[in-house]
Amino acid sequence: MKPDPRADAGGLAGDAGTVPALDVVGMTVAYDASPVVWDASLSLAPSRLMAIVGPNGAGKSTLIKACLGILPRIAGRVRVFGEDPREDPSRVAYVPQRTSVDWDFPATVLDVVLMGTYGRLGWFRRPGAKQRAEVMAALEQVEMEDFAGRQIGELSGGQQQRVFLARALVQDADLYLMDEPFSGVDAVTERAIVGLFKSLRDRGKAILAVHHDLATVAEYFDEVTMLSRAVVASGPVGSVFTRDVIEATYGGAIGALRASGDEGRSEP
Amino acid sequence: MIALLEGLLELDATLLTVAAGATIIGAVSGGLGCFAYLRRQALVGDVISHAALLGIVGAFVLSWLVTGAGSKSLLVLVPGAIFAGIAALLLARAIQDRTRIKEDASLGVMLAIFFGGGLMLLRWVQRGRPSISGRAGLEDYVFGMAAAMTRADLAMIGGLGAFGALVLALCWKELKLYTFDPGFAASLGLRTRLVDTLLLALLVLGIVIGLQAVGVVLMIALLVTPASAARQWTSRLPVMVALAALFGAVSGLVGALISATELRVPTGPVVVLVATLIFVVSILFAPSRGVIARARARVRTRRESLGSGAQGAAS
Repeated sequence: MKPDPRADAGGLAGDAGTVPALDVVGMTVAYDASPVVWDASLSLAPSRLMAIVGPNGAGKSTLIKACLGILPRIAGRVRVFGEDPREDPSRVAYVPQRTSVDWDFPATVLDVVLMGTYGRLGWFRRPGAKQRAEVMAALEQVEMEDFAGRQIGELSGGQQQRVFLARALVQDADLYLMDEPFSGVDAVTERAIVGLFKSLRDRGKAILAVHHDLATVAEYFDEVTMLSRAVVASGPVGSVFTRDVIEATYGGAIGALRASGDEGRSEP
Repeated sequence: MIALLEGLLELDATLLTVAAGATIIGAVSGGLGCFAYLRRQALVGDVISHAALLGIVGAFVLSWLVTGAGSKSLLVLVPGAIFAGIAALLLARAIQDRTRIKEDASLGVMLAIFFGGGLMLLRWVQRGRPSISGRAGLEDYVFGMAAAMTRADLAMIGGLGAFGALVLALCWKELKLYTFDPGFAASLGLRTRLVDTLLLALLVLGIVIGLQAVGVVLMIALLVTPASAARQWTSRLPVMVALAALFGAVSGLVGALISATELRVPTGPVVVLVATLIFVVSILFAPSRGVIARARARVRTRRESLGSGAQGAAS
């Protein structure tokens, strides 16, 4: 039996007794000499949706990439369900920024979503009928099943985002790390994605997503991590997402954003 | 038809060697070039091929120092070419890591230094007072001379080509995944450093295999032109690689035959001319991506919008 790693940590995550889906302690990441993420700690329990919010250059993408081991960290510890994700990455699914890839790459929607099965397949094994069936099931969840044979260059921004989400769903992970899943998508897609998040949460999955729209934080997410190189605050939206914390996160340039912050806080 | 086959069979052995070699080179470079094209590494490939000249001449001089006679065997020259190409690339990366100089500038500097150094060393070898035996023909590496290919060279080209094709087939999904989305590949636990090195090795292989026949100056064209042409016709990666290999093979074969039989000109320029012809036809006439198809689509859209505008005005 493993001792409960959160027994002495104040139980921010709520579900005392369960291993957190994601546990980050004292993580520092640096490009060259200057740290981009400084001494960040956060904990996310299963069945919870958490937003990462902060100004441009706050290190939101970097934090996610360092959790996955894509970027090296110079200090700190990351545990996914108590394990080092670099040793067993199968419980984590990553949705990169939509604009981080070249959508003119010669591939179909099916080709891209199949990439979600590569981790389980390993080297030299090719995806077969079973993997194709999994892909079609994932495409149905994001309402893209009619687009399986479509060239990815022909997709709209929202459709591209759905393809990336389907690729993550195929991985059948328990923790999802997403970089701006709502960027460049229309209102219909945004609602569909939120619905998908909530159904994943209800199946016990945990989601950590970089989010930009302060007005929808409280509506979409259970918890929030306010990041400005360092973690300003992290925890349930109701107790963390306050005007003081938002101002501390965004510095002086928050005047225009104040209204939306208040609006977000007023949600239950 | 049978007469033609008999005529081909009667071709002398040298020409058959050259034709087979140039076809393999074109197919391998064309196919592997797709990954350089998709990763936007055309300049990296150009640096490797230009820098290879210093390695080729250097290996030749080294073989002369060791054995007393310069060797032009590909078994001697290819390792030299690989060494110099990789060295130029690593030096460029070292500059990028330690200064604020950008990738294209540091690559350009390394290309110039290694190619210039290669030309100077070549000049010295050709003019050198103690005449180095075997030096005649070394200058063909600048613009390529497929006619100089021996059976031993063909065996090496075939071996390297088969190895490259095998690696490509075995690691297909890893190479595709890493080329499309390296961050996601890393998140799956894929050893991205290994895949990156593998792709670099395949790029180097696609270059050194053709240096003798096509030459260091124009080798990049055989790597990138067939890939660019193939991309016009298809949006599926397997089809693109197969088409690029076909375009490269045709370019290599036709170019080498023209160069070896008719004109007695360096092979590189002729191969590149054939590849360019295929490229021009592709960018003009390809369906949907071609220039003509796009112009037609534009006209159609304009006409439709004018039509609906007129209707709107009438009602």
